[in-house]
Amino acid sequence: MSAADIELVDLHKHYRKGRIDIPALDGLSLTIDAGSFVAIMGPSGSGKSTLLHLIGGLDSADSGIIRVGEYRLDRMSERQLTAWRSRHVGFIFQMYHLVPVLTAAQNVELPLLLFRMPARERRKRVATALEVVGLADRMDHRPNQLSGGQEQRVAIARAIVTDPDVILADEPTGDLDARTSQEILQLLSLLNAEFGKTIVMVTHDPRAAAFGQRILHLDKGVLDRDERNPARPAAAAHAH
Amino acid sequence: MALPLTYNARNLVARKLSSTLTFLIVAFVVFVLSLLLSFVAGIRASLGATGSPRNIIVLKPGATAESTSLIPLDDLGPLIQTPGLALATPLTGTSAAAEAFATGRLRVGEPLLSQELAVQTMLPRRAGGAAANVAVRGVDDIAFALHADVRISAGRLFTPGALEVIVGAAAQARFAGLELGATVPLGRKGERAYKVVGVFTAGGGALESELWAPRTMIADSFHRRLASSVCLQVRDEAAVAPAVAYINGPSVGLEAKPELQYYRDLAEKTREIVVLTSVLVGIMGIGAAFAVATTMYAAVDSRRRELAMLRALGFARRSIVAALLVESLLLCLLASACGLAVSAASSGTRQDFLSDTTWTVLAYELRMTPGIVATALLVATAVSVAGTLAPALRAARLNIIVALRKA
Ligand SMILES: Nc1ncnc2c1ncn2[C@@H]1O[C@H](COP(=O)(O)OP(=O)(O)O)[C@@H](O)[C@H]1O
Ligand SMILES: [Mg+2]
Repeated sequence: MSAADIELVDLHKHYRKGRIDIPALDGLSLTIDAGSFVAIMGPSGSGKSTLLHLIGGLDSADSGIIRVGEYRLDRMSERQLTAWRSRHVGFIFQMYHLVPVLTAAQNVELPLLLFRMPARERRKRVATALEVVGLADRMDHRPNQLSGGQEQRVAIARAIVTDPDVILADEPTGDLDARTSQEILQLLSLLNAEFGKTIVMVTHDPRAAAFGQRILHLDKGVLDRDERNPARPAAAAHAH
Repeated sequence: MALPLTYNARNLVARKLSSTLTFLIVAFVVFVLSLLLSFVAGIRASLGATGSPRNIIVLKPGATAESTSLIPLDDLGPLIQTPGLALATPLTGTSAAAEAFATGRLRVGEPLLSQELAVQTMLPRRAGGAAANVAVRGVDDIAFALHADVRISAGRLFTPGALEVIVGAAAQARFAGLELGATVPLGRKGERAYKVVGVFTAGGGALESELWAPRTMIADSFHRRLASSVCLQVRDEAAVAPAVAYINGPSVGLEAKPELQYYRDLAEKTREIVVLTSVLVGIMGIGAAFAVATTMYAAVDSRRRELAMLRALGFARRSIVAALLVESLLLCLLASACGLAVSAASSGTRQDFLSDTTWTVLAYELRMTPGIVATALLVATAVSVAGTLAPALRAARLNIIVALRKA
């Protein structure tokens, strides 16, 4: 049960499309406390996903500092980032990205295959993770036998099964109806409150953002606004 | 750590059509390849089992096979003078020679020099009924002393001077009308009726595909007064080389070859077929590799997001490459097992082969050996790896973020 704080300093990330230079992140600086639940909002193309990818070590910045817990991601090679991801971060995407030929349990087990761990221990962890998301009875279902909400729950179980320091969610409810969205968001809140996970969630839905203790607004690759959510006081302010 | 095999197996099953097609193609290539190699192994085994290390075959200069050779009678005298020529010593056991000694047809001290008259005749095959050439050998009793692995397995030896024939076991199996007691029409126009009085084996060698009859009778029936070859035996293997040199030299002026080499050279004639078929198998192999590549490209392209997700979870590029290789190997090795199983079913079956040198049918057994299995699996592995390399590289180079983006 660990959580990490996040520190970003003067992050730049540009994409080149032919001759056009697109600044996805344009000197962004930000700190996120360990064990907090942060929502990121902003218009489409404002750099939200890019920011999440950099925090998650899926991509490298052009310049700037990225620190997650004790790790300086900006100083890591791609290989090191790959190894780091397997232990320290859990991803949740809008499209779930489950492996269609594997069962729910096998999907959740995937990240554990990167650990030296006896099969029995893996099974135990998978069962626990599926229990947390309320899908213990759907272990042997294939993704196409599950509803969208259930698929996203499996994806969440997969993200937490390695007990990562940070959970990164990119529009996790973007494909779900309002009721199912609420359930997923409550689940994320639970992970934050009960297990102390640092959660960074990108969303364009204010109702979803309302679950965050802090709501960041990005615009054109920089931080536009930084709000505390009075409805959700930071429970883990003294997590360390 | 690697992805579980179930992941690979289920992905193959999920892409049924493309997997099945590739499976069939690889299985077919392996089938053809292993059948070809079994054929070569069979021919080599049959011809390799023929001949004695002390025997020398003498042909007319320039002739490569008995069928195109004639030995002038004048040359027999100098052949008797061949240094190291062995004399008959009594044989015991179950060979035809031992029987000939026992009945007094062969006498101790006779020079081991056998004039043989090789002709051929058309006989209907058992399978299909179409006629094919079978080799007929006219021999004197002394021939049995030189070809000591000839054994009468049913019936008896022919009687000298009689219209009788003994038939090789393989010839009997391949051709119709060669049962004991049957009559075989032999002669230039098939005008003489020879009675089948015996069946013989010859250690599985090429002689088993022949019919043997008294040389004088065959010479008469076929209007051939000269022998086509002379087989002679020397005292020991060390005497072979000097004897060959003597016969090839000016005092005889014929062409001598150790018998083992003669049959080995015949086997070498299959090399052209092997080369030709290898080229064909090679082309098919390349085709199969392309089929594998197509399947694996489809696998990579349809699973871009899934593979990117695995990378996001922390699977390294090489894990993705390994997963795709395992998937393709799984398919190709299962396919080879299937191809091998089908060709193994015909292993051990008797086939025949029309030699382009002797123009007679040579019977042989298809032989599947461990070496052939290994070769086929190796080729399948090569096809699999060659076909997967490019798609796997594409998968390894996948940009995680681009691939994960909502399509
Ligand atoms: N791989 C890419 N190639 C080119 N441009 C990109 C790429 N990824 C993102 N962008 C651009 O960078 C900007 C920020 O993208 P993104 O972070 O996805 O925004 P958001 O998630 O806020 O909608 C956009 O203008 C987008 O078009
Ligand atoms: Mg986005």
